[in-house]
Amino acid sequence: MKSPYQILGVSEQASDAEIKQAYLQLVKDNPPDRDQQRFRQIQQAYEAIKDGDSRLRYALFHLPSLTFDELLEHAFPQNRVAHAMPAEDFLKLLTSVASDKLPFKTQVKAS
Amino acid sequence: MSDIIIGIDLGTTNSEVAIVENGKVTIIADAGKKILPSFVGIGDGGEILVGETARNQYLVYPERTVKSIKRLMGQDAQVVMADRQYSPQEISAVILKRLKAIAEDYVGHSLSKAVITVPAYFSDAQRQATREAGEIAGLEVVRMINEPTAAALVYGAGQSEAKRMLVYDLGGGTFDVSVVNVQAGVVEVLSSHGDNHLGGDDFDQQIVEHIQNHLREQHGVEIEGHGKAMARIVRAAENAKLRLSDEPFVQIEEEYLLEHGGTPIHLTLELARSTYEDMIADYINATMDATHIALKGAKLTATDIDEIILVGGSTRTPCIRERLFDEFGFEPHGEVDPDLCVAMGAAMQAAMIAGQSIDTVLVDVTPYTYGTSALGYLDGMPYPYQFVPIIHKNSVLPVRKSEAFMTHQDGQRAVNVRIYQGEDPDALNNIEIGEFTIEDLLDVPAGNIITLTLDLDLNGILHVSAREKASGMEKSITINNAISRFAPEELAGAKRRIEGLFGEEGAETDADRSESAAAAEARNLIKKAESLFDTVSAEDKEDMVDLIETIMAGLESGNDAALREPVERLNDIIYYLES
Repeated sequence: MKSPYQILGVSEQASDAEIKQAYLQLVKDNPPDRDQQRFRQIQQAYEAIKDGDSRLRYALFHLPSLTFDELLEHAFPQNRVAHAMPAEDFLKLLTSVASDKLPFKTQVKAS
Repeated sequence: MSDIIIGIDLGTTNSEVAIVENGKVTIIADAGKKILPSFVGIGDGGEILVGETARNQYLVYPERTVKSIKRLMGQDAQVVMADRQYSPQEISAVILKRLKAIAEDYVGHSLSKAVITVPAYFSDAQRQATREAGEIAGLEVVRMINEPTAAALVYGAGQSEAKRMLVYDLGGGTFDVSVVNVQAGVVEVLSSHGDNHLGGDDFDQQIVEHIQNHLREQHGVEIEGHGKAMARIVRAAENAKLRLSDEPFVQIEEEYLLEHGGTPIHLTLELARSTYEDMIADYINATMDATHIALKGAKLTATDIDEIILVGGSTRTPCIRERLFDEFGFEPHGEVDPDLCVAMGAAMQAAMIAGQSIDTVLVDVTPYTYGTSALGYLDGMPYPYQFVPIIHKNSVLPVRKSEAFMTHQDGQRAVNVRIYQGEDPDALNNIEIGEFTIEDLLDVPAGNIITLTLDLDLNGILHVSAREKASGMEKSITINNAISRFAPEELAGAKRRIEGLFGEEGAETDADRSESAAAAEARNLIKKAESLFDTVSAEDKEDMVDLIETIMAGLESGNDAALREPVERLNDIIYYLES
């Protein structure tokens, strides 16, 4: 099972712009009209990591091999904790994470 | 050589057909005209008329002519044309057949495949009906693409820098607004919203009502029910609207509109642009509200938009440009004719599907949320029809999503699944677009898992399947509006009927024989005048149409004396044109 980063061919440190660029290039080479399966895979990979929010969500809920400490490390990298997140932002982050896109409910996502 | 696929814009008021040749998009003209009015009629000899001739006939024989059929697509409706009933699909098929013939004439061989555009906000039923119209016309609809997306494709092709565009598409009958990102050869729709029953026809209707009120107050006449007089007023209203795009005031004049209590009624009414703008203000406000919903859907604000693209003839209304300028702070784009760019985009997508070129790739979204209903809560209270969204508005197409549900009774052997389109948490406030039942479930305690999968394809058509997890038993349907949908044999019948209509050309009737010699001469003159329409200047044509209207009014009242003067003048014009 390839990770979204592998599908898009970007590093885990890639910026939003780099991820978008990689996505667009892949879409250009794999239009939805040609191979829908392939396009859907690219699209899902992009949606999983397209911005900070989704990358955080992906890091928190799609890497079961990580320990809790590692998860926290993923969520709040040490080098950025120097200026701690304001409480309001943290709450906003939590509510956005706890949205319907998460597998909390009796929901099964098929590809 | 790969098959040529034509691109068709099947509009409420106008239709066009285009192809890509040697990498260049061409709108195919018919007798010099790129625009085919979306009018269908039955002529004097029982022959089928499409386009300009049907449009001209509408004034004289509204009962034999159909306009704006697109507004009825997807509904369980029938229209009457020359005493026969037709479905909206059949009338649309007549227009498609004509466009197909125009393209075949141009390329010199037969064609069988098309990309047809539909309003982004067209529902599942409206899309199905469009596809059926294509089948009846003998066209395989290889793809339906959204009109604003097609327009964005035209503007996005060859664009080197990344841009965010707002496509504001106001046609004769529908309104769409899409937010589009154009970057690195990909035209990516970020969000779409609209109203599939809002357009220039509604603006005309406001003017028509204004005229009706005027006639009621000034002359005490109720014009409803006078078919020909109404047709003339509809045409006069449309002309007034068009002229108000350039002039602050227009004079609406129709002589001999009808007879009332023995005296002829002439219509004379001045309409100011400001009055007209007040009449349509609610509609314009609705389009601006939709624009904000689209921006919100794309998580953008007005300042993020780099360009505005205007599509559809109704965007020529000056107050629309002003409102957009007020919102966004810059002038909208209009380099590509707003009447033609949708057909051009359709042709570009067609060429891509045919394998000709892949300069620009389209990524589109659905403007609707699709889901089902389940036992749940509404406002904190248990409620049997809680809406459970499965595919969310603005999801990229194609999209497939599944959701798991459980039976709530021991030994429950059947589940009824309803599919809705809409945003309301109460499913009953959304549009139910289909339902089906899965029976013979296993006899097990409550909690039997059923997975429901919704699959929305590139054409925006929904396929649904449900599966009992334990047994693997599956049931699938393609959502179709059971009411408006044709059964296969009905479709074949419709196809034959429309083919028959086209085959009957040239037959003559004797309907006119009982008339006086003066009336017969007048009718012949009208035919002669109409045959010249394609070659005369707009100004001459306007004069001729005015005279024809006057003559028709005289014919209708049976007053031969009233014919003399306009017949003479029309004769003079024709003589002058032919010499």
